[in-house]
Amino acid sequence: MAENKTAADPLTPVPGDPLPPLQEIGTTSAPLKSAAYFIGDACKEFNEDFMLCKNESRDPAHCLKEGRKVTRCAQDVLTKLRAACAAEFQAHWDCLEWNNQYYYACRKEERPLNACAFTKLGYKKEIPGVPEGQQPIHLIEKPYFRRQQK
Amino acid sequence: MSVPYRQDMPPPGGFEPIRYKRYLPFKGPSGAVIFGIAMLISGFGIHGVGMANREKRELLREKTWARIHLVPLLMAEGDRDMYRRTHAALEREKEIMKDVKGWQYGGKVYNTDKYIPPSIQI
Repeated sequence: MAENKTAADPLTPVPGDPLPPLQEIGTTSAPLKSAAYFIGDACKEFNEDFMLCKNESRDPAHCLKEGRKVTRCAQDVLTKLRAACAAEFQAHWDCLEWNNQYYYACRKEERPLNACAFTKLGYKKEIPGVPEGQQPIHLIEKPYFRRQQK
Repeated sequence: MSVPYRQDMPPPGGFEPIRYKRYLPFKGPSGAVIFGIAMLISGFGIHGVGMANREKRELLREKTWARIHLVPLLMAEGDRDMYRRTHAALEREKEIMKDVKGWQYGGKVYNTDKYIPPSIQI
């Protein structure tokens, strides 16, 4: 079995795969959650394309190309965030990490991150489905839900 | 010695009125006032609960959409992993079953063209 060891190992690439190997995103949950809205905004087309493709067939082999675009786009967003707003990004996801990943506990850190990402990178944070005339939750100045400890 | 006659009369200005009512000190606001105040305080509280519920709903919306935005990314990664694993399992199967005649590699269990995820870890 020695000659086939590479193929038998699930972590080695498929031989003869026409697609070049792709660096996986390798990010933990807190930075992903911190950047989720920016990824959703910047990669909207790729994400929707991928999900429509998945709707055609659930086979993992069916949407590999679309999936690579999704991952590359998210990688691009994270790289840009790290380059442009490193300190704010770090502060926000550190806060999420320490606060059970509750957004409401980290508004203080979120505001500078949003300001930086909006102005420098042109991203948006839009929550679909917020009732008419109501302020989106991340913009409310005095929310009922906040950290108990100051 | 004679005392001049004098009719006994009430004092000038009349007698003071008789205090037949109980004269108790003020013991606090009336029941209606207390009830009203209690209703007012409860009203504020209930309003707060309502607003907080509204906010909770929006927080849930925010969390849900954050996850929705991440679903394609995570699913794509999982798909690539699954594709590799499926391929590796097939290779292993080929290697193990090479001496068995008439063995069908990667044989299907279900009589359908739909993709069925494997029920065991591969």
